[in-house]
Amino acid sequence: MQSRTKDSITVEDFYKDRQDLFELTLFTSGSGLKNRIENNQVHRPGLALAGFTERFAHKRSQILGETELTYLLNLESKRRMEVLRLLFSLNVPVVFITKGNPPPEELLITAEESNTPVLGTRLSTPGFTYRYSAYLDSIFAPRITVHGTLVDVYGVGLLYMGKSGVGKSECALDLVERGHRLVADDVVLITRKAPEVIIGAGIEVTGHHMEVRGIGIIDIEKLFGIRAIRLQKRIEVLVRLEIWDTEFEYDRLGIDEQFATILGIELPQITIPVSPGKNITVISEVIAMNHMLKVYGHNPALEFSKRLSEDLKRKDRTLSYLESDTE
Amino acid sequence: MLEEKIQITNKLGLHARPAAMLVSTASKFKSEIFAIKDGIEVNCKSIMGIMMLAAETGSWITLKIDGPDEQQALETIIQMFKENFGEK
Repeated sequence: MQSRTKDSITVEDFYKDRQDLFELTLFTSGSGLKNRIENNQVHRPGLALAGFTERFAHKRSQILGETELTYLLNLESKRRMEVLRLLFSLNVPVVFITKGNPPPEELLITAEESNTPVLGTRLSTPGFTYRYSAYLDSIFAPRITVHGTLVDVYGVGLLYMGKSGVGKSECALDLVERGHRLVADDVVLITRKAPEVIIGAGIEVTGHHMEVRGIGIIDIEKLFGIRAIRLQKRIEVLVRLEIWDTEFEYDRLGIDEQFATILGIELPQITIPVSPGKNITVISEVIAMNHMLKVYGHNPALEFSKRLSEDLKRKDRTLSYLESDTE
Repeated sequence: MLEEKIQITNKLGLHARPAAMLVSTASKFKSEIFAIKDGIEVNCKSIMGIMMLAAETGSWITLKIDGPDEQQALETIIQMFKENFGEK
């Protein structure tokens, strides 16, 4: 596993990436475009403009909405200059002005003095805040690449892992043939999108190509059509394929679930022994369906075990009744 | 575990044929062999992974080898890179 998490981007990266989508305009000369945005938090500097700078949120992107601008415009020019100088002295990477409002002259002067870029957007303040935070979230999301194969089986993302040559790709091919969808083969890029959610995707260069021993490289999309592929999928179960090891104790009940941790998230893990002629495809479908059953609140292993225990108790009761019955 | 940084020196970079050579050589060893470039780690025993690195001439990749025959594997693979996979 290899970590690829980014810890900062420059204002320029963001500006180039989202210029059209967020309808951005650059008001300053661009000297501060190399400033780095280091976290996903945004701040509205209302209190700082009023002169209260204790506990000010440093290093955050600042957003000036209608409220802040109206307040600034109500100040005298000299005072406006002062509060803006104060704001820019607080280590601010970038300032945004929303709703297509023009920046006050003093803002541009003080911004240039401190080499801070000022960007305007036509979006409303809540609209921009939401989309900007979402953008930064996706940039700063923890991510890694793993060697494995990700397939969507009945809507459940199964991530196959195991040594090279154990049959991950062949298994995926078989699943695709049965109507399931390939997300990525060989290298899976995993991103944590929410505290409990990891999303897997392929890497652009490979697309949905796959190597099958003996055939070579094949294109799944061309062979099986668009229904056979998916761009990304939440990973819900980890399936570890292993060459059958007669020493290893494989799970026979499924009562005690095993877990593996990826990017800090616990995923149920199932270890499947592989041997010639064993149909992993059907097992995969059962894994996916069984996972869905558990999500919907049924645990077949637990329920079976409960039934067995109740049965044993009942038999015990009958037996003790019969024993005490001296009729 | 052994780690070694190596530069790609053949003119066309790690295209399909050298990638195939690398994979078939790596597969002969018992050790786990990985290649890392630009934060992407791929298994050297998988052709798709190696080709996905799209390693051009002059670029550097890191080899990570772990297993009983790691020393021999590292030497053999480095030799292949040095010989430019039999190309120019």
